[in-house]
This record gives sequence, C-alpha cells and structure tokens, in this order.
Amino acid sequence: MQVFDLTPLVLLLPLLGFLFIGSLRLLGVQERRHELITWVGCGTIGVAFLLALISFLTLVNSATQADDVTLWNWVVSGKLGIDFGLRLDPLSGVMLLVVTGVGFLIHVYSAGYMHDDPSYWRYYSFLNFFIFAMVLLVSANSFLFLLVGWAAVGLASYLLIGFWYQRPSAVAAAKKAFVVNVIGDFGLMLAIFLLYNKFGTLAYNGILFNSPNTTAPMPSAFGVNDPMLIAITLLLFLACAAKSAQLPLHVWLPDAMEGPTPVSALIHAATMVTAGVYLVARASNLFQYAPASLWVVAGIGAATALFAASIGLVQNDIKRILAYSTISQLGYMFMAEGAGNYSAGIFHLTTHAYFKALLFMGAGSVIHALDGEQDIRKMGGLRARLPWTYWTFIIGGLAIAGIIPFAGFWSKDAILGTLLTQGTSAGGSPWYLVLYGVGLLTAILTGFYIFRLIFVVFHGSYRGSQAEVPAQAQARRPNPLARVHEAPWVMLVPMVFLAALSTVGGIYGTPWADALGQFLAPVLGTNFNPDNFTPPGALLWVSFAVGILAGLIGIGVAWAMYVRRAPSLQPMRNFVYQTLLHKYWIDELYEWVIVKPIVGAGKLAGRFIEADALDGGGRGLAWLVGKTSVGLRSVQSGYVRSYALVFLVGAILILIYYIVRP
Amino acid sequence: MPPDSATGYLIVSAILFTIGVVGVLVRRNPLIMFMSIELMLNAVNLSFMTFAHYLDSVDGWIFVFLVLTVAAAEVVVGLAIIVSIFRARRDINIDELDSLKG
Repeated sequence: MQVFDLTPLVLLLPLLGFLFIGSLRLLGVQERRHELITWVGCGTIGVAFLLALISFLTLVNSATQADDVTLWNWVVSGKLGIDFGLRLDPLSGVMLLVVTGVGFLIHVYSAGYMHDDPSYWRYYSFLNFFIFAMVLLVSANSFLFLLVGWAAVGLASYLLIGFWYQRPSAVAAAKKAFVVNVIGDFGLMLAIFLLYNKFGTLAYNGILFNSPNTTAPMPSAFGVNDPMLIAITLLLFLACAAKSAQLPLHVWLPDAMEGPTPVSALIHAATMVTAGVYLVARASNLFQYAPASLWVVAGIGAATALFAASIGLVQNDIKRILAYSTISQLGYMFMAEGAGNYSAGIFHLTTHAYFKALLFMGAGSVIHALDGEQDIRKMGGLRARLPWTYWTFIIGGLAIAGIIPFAGFWSKDAILGTLLTQGTSAGGSPWYLVLYGVGLLTAILTGFYIFRLIFVVFHGSYRGSQAEVPAQAQARRPNPLARVHEAPWVMLVPMVFLAALSTVGGIYGTPWADALGQFLAPVLGTNFNPDNFTPPGALLWVSFAVGILAGLIGIGVAWAMYVRRAPSLQPMRNFVYQTLLHKYWIDELYEWVIVKPIVGAGKLAGRFIEADALDGGGRGLAWLVGKTSVGLRSVQSGYVRSYALVFLVGAILILIYYIVRP
Repeated sequence: MPPDSATGYLIVSAILFTIGVVGVLVRRNPLIMFMSIELMLNAVNLSFMTFAHYLDSVDGWIFVFLVLTVAAAEVVVGLAIIVSIFRARRDINIDELDSLKG
C-alpha cells in the first residue's frame, strides 16, 4: 500500500493558524474574541495531529519505508538545484506525532493558563508559528530546510521567552537564548557548507539515503574517522548542543523559564530542545562512521546529565528545577546516541516529552493556584488543595525517577542497559562503564531532586505569605490556603492525558518487544539493530534492579530529608552547596570571560574607533570641505562681466596652447 | 571675384570679434552685450565662410547655418530673460544682478 502522506497539510495548518490569529487585528476582528482564538489555535494543531496520525499509521502498515515529496523547485541555477520537499519516514513520523500531539495538549492547557492575559492572541499566534517551524524542522527532506526550521524554532523560542516583554529579565533571557542558539546555527551552517562541498547536494536523499522512497542508507563517502567527517559531525553536534542546552552552551535554558509555563513545557522541555537529539539520530548515517565524534557526544551528554542534575538538587525556583532536570535528561539522550543506540535516545525523547510536559503543566498549575509564586520555599502542603495536580505530578515524578512500570523506567533503562552492554561486551569499551556509573549517579540525583520538589511543594505545611498577611486578616481567614484553587478542567484534562501516557508510554519500547526500536532501525544507519544494545541474559535483570534501586535511593533520601523531619530550606554555608546553588558559577564565568571583555572592547571601540577615528574623520572632512568652499566662494562674484573675462582668458589660454604646442 | 588671399577677410573678422569681446566686457546694458555677442558670432561666421571658400569645403557652410540657428534661439531666450528681469526689477544694470553670488 502506498503511503497516505499528509505531511504538507500538517505543515500548512499551523502556518494558517499563525497567519489568521496574527492578523486578527488587520481583519478587523476583536482581539478579545478568546473563544475564536482558542478554537483556531487548538483546532489547527488538533487536526494537524490527526493528519500526522493518519500518515503515520499508513506508513506503519505499508511496505513503503519512506515517502519523499518534492513540493517545488526553489532554486535552479546551473548545477545547483534546491528543492523544497518533505520526507515522511519512521523517524520524522515519530517526531511529528510527538510535536503535534504534545503540542496539541499544551495548546489546550494554555487556554486555561493564559486565559487572563491581555495578549492572548499574540500568544496563540506565536505558539502556532512554533509548531509550524518544528514540523518543518522534523519533516524537511534536506539539510537546508532543516536549518530553516532550526532557525525558525529559535525565533519562536525567542518570541515566547520574551512574551512578557514588560519584564526586563524576560527580555534579557530571550536575548541570551537567541545569542546562544545562534552559535549553534552557525555550527549547523558550517556543517552544511562542508556537506555541500563533499556531496554536491543538501537533500537527505544523496547524503543519508540512497533513494527517495526507501530507507536504504547511502554508502559512506568517508573512511572511518575521516577528518572531514569528524569536522562535519562535530559541527552538527555543536548545533545540537546549543539547541539542546548541553555543556557548555546550556546557560540559556534555565533563564528561558521567564516565558509562560506552557511555553516551557512545549518548547523548553518536550519538543524544541529535543531537536538536537533528533538531528544526531537523523544524521546517524554520518555519525556511525565517526566513532570519535560519538565519544564526544556521549561524553558531553554524560557530563551534562550529571552536572545539571547536581544543580537541580538545590535550586528553589520550581521551574528552574525542572529546567535543570530537562538539561540532565537531554544529556541521557545524548549518552544513548553517543553509545550508538539512537533509538533509545529517541525513545527517551518521546517518554521525556510526556512526563516533562506533565511536570511543567503541574508546575504551571501550582503557579496558577498561587498567583505566580515560583519559590518552593513559599509553598508546602498543597496536596489537599490540588489533588489532581498532586497525583499527576507524582506520576510524572515516578516516571522521571525511573520507577517501574512508568514510561521513564523503560526508556532510562534502555539507555543504562545500552551503556552496560557496550561496557561489558567484546566489541565495546570499558569506558562505557564509566558512563554507566555517571548515568546511575544521575538517576539517584534525579530521584532526589524531583521528590524534593514534590515533598516541599505538596507535603508539610504551607509556608507562603503568612508573614505578609496581617494578623487580623489571618484571624478572619484562618487557612491561608483558602484562596488556593485547583486549575480549571481545560488545564487538568491535558495533564490527565499526559499522566496516562507517562504511565503506559513505555509499552512500545520494552526490551522484549522493542516496537519503536525495530520501527526506527532502518533509518538509523547501516545494520542498526536495537537488540544489540539489550543486556544479555541475567544482566538485563541486574540492569533493571540497579536502575530502580538508584531511583528509590534518591526518593528515599528526599523522603528522609523533607518528610520524616521538618525540611530545612535554609541555604547551607558549605562550599559544595554554594557551588551548586550558584550553578558552578558558569554564568559568572561567562560574564567575566566573554560578556565583559566584549562589552569592554565595544566601549573602547566606541570611544576610540567610533568617536575619534570615524566621527573625527568625518568631522575633519566636513571642516576641510567647509574651509575650501569659503575660499572658492569668492570666485562666484555674481558679476557677469567678470565671468565673461574669465571665459575670455580661458579661451586665449587654449589658443596659446595650440599655438605654442610643438 | 574675391581676391586670391584670405588675409583681408580674416583681419576684418578679427576686428569684429575684438569689438564684440570688448563690448561684452565693458558695457553694462545687457541689450548692448547681446549685440556684442552677435557681433562675435558673425565674426566667426565670416571666418568660417572665408575658410570654406579658400579651402573649397562645405564644412564651413554647415557650421554657419548651425551658428545662425543657435544664435537666433539664443536671442529669443536671452531677450525673454531680459524682459522678465526688467519687469521684476525695473532695472537691467548687469552689475546689479548678482543674487547668485557665492
């Protein structure tokens, strides 16, 4: 059966939604028509999700492995031909489902969360634009349009981080995110130049695949660890590191929490930041011949996972904890891909999209209930007032901590099992065991920070605003939590959906029936088989047990520290705690090493080059012209007869020249 | 029958031209200056005709026609300017017209 490919419509619908909502003012429709905006904004994404689902299901059920549609020729110039086209294959199919599916749930959730915002229409038009850009990113059939999507999601991210532009901190965060992302865009561009130089084309078909409608991989044009290939893959990974907030380019993501919480859930947890994981999997046919680059990917991933999780231990802003958690989980995905198991990376990407979006929605619900409070030290005891939020949050927490049978368990175990297998098998390297250790340690930290968050926010007693409320008011309203209310159903329904997915979402990736891995395998390089990364025999059960144990240890320590005895939320004085609280002083380091010198050089240039050399030069020129004109002005006497005399003298001089000329 | 030598004609032409030049330089009445310019132009025409005759070429004739045409056009424009200046200022002393002075 031929594939019933609706990808162009999936791309078109969010774009139309964006254009329609964005131009409501021009169309003369009242911007405050919230129902209209909600229906258009959510409806386009919902229909796009259904279309993506139809395409995906026919792809699953057809003999065709991929569908590459060229929509039009964009540039035809001599040998250079650039086509705009979309490619539906297992990888982009899975990504499309995640993007439109989670995107749709978050659109619905936003209808409740952003209900009172005066710029409701602007919010939805940006959100639709983001989905458009993300769909373009994952379904483009060439590196060029991947780059277009890549830059456009960066723009959407910038617009939405700075959505509340009245706050200087939001504007600064948006700028930071944009600048760091452009470093990655630059890397991607250089990689694209090198690819074009080598292959003479930018389409996946010809670089990664042998023909448009199959998944047969292109034979490698390079030797193993060819320097050119190393350069290309590392430049690609630079782009991934910037987009997916890996060391040392992670600094923008925590600040990106200045945006509205649903945006954090959609862009900075579930979809955009996973674009890097997608790109490595997409370019697996290049990466597989560059083991050196894969080591870099795995090493950076492991370092980031541990680093971000350790910072997450001590943060007090509910969204920042989740942001560091996201960075850490992205590190896991890169660890898996660096170890060669791309499908485990994508598997963790999908489950992470469920539970991290869920956790962000829960955080949004808490923030919504407390009128914008984000400091967990001013929360506590919210369990009774927010039961739905509490229980869904628990599910998300168990999933991220890797407790069986939640989705995160299966995907995290796929990653840890990969590292264990690679470390113990004959073809592997003992160094993978080091990565395995890092993964386990991170799992312990993950269990701790997420349950610290849950215990501090939902258990114990409420610590917020009691001191700020006057005594009489407290007497009149003895329960300070009385005003705290559960979120409206429009926010709860998406949370329940995601909680369900976080619970059972791992079903398609178990080690015994790795449906996702087998489905993705054809597009993930030559002879890729996810079963090769499953620990053999009893080792599988060891891996399971150790993984769950790590999560439980983390949860147990959190329980001992924050539930069994009264939680101590005062910052500690010791050096380790302070280092973590200040995020290893990375921001300060960048401030002093990069930002300050650049600003200083700019000021010096402003003083000397701009003021003295450029302005001075301009002023000097103006002075010279002025002085010269003053001298020349006397020539223009206004007397016709003197002009005539000059004329005559000139004529005589010309005559003399002709006469005396030799 | 014209004489064998062109000298006489050229001397007359030079004298006429010099009178024209001096007229332009020393007179203040634009009408007189115009007449002086016409004198210069016709002095040149005389030279052209002389050379055309003695060199046996029609080039000079053609030039004379062009010069006559241009001179006529120039007089039309010039007189129109003089008339309008006179209307505006009631005075056409050339030395007073210096508003384009730098």
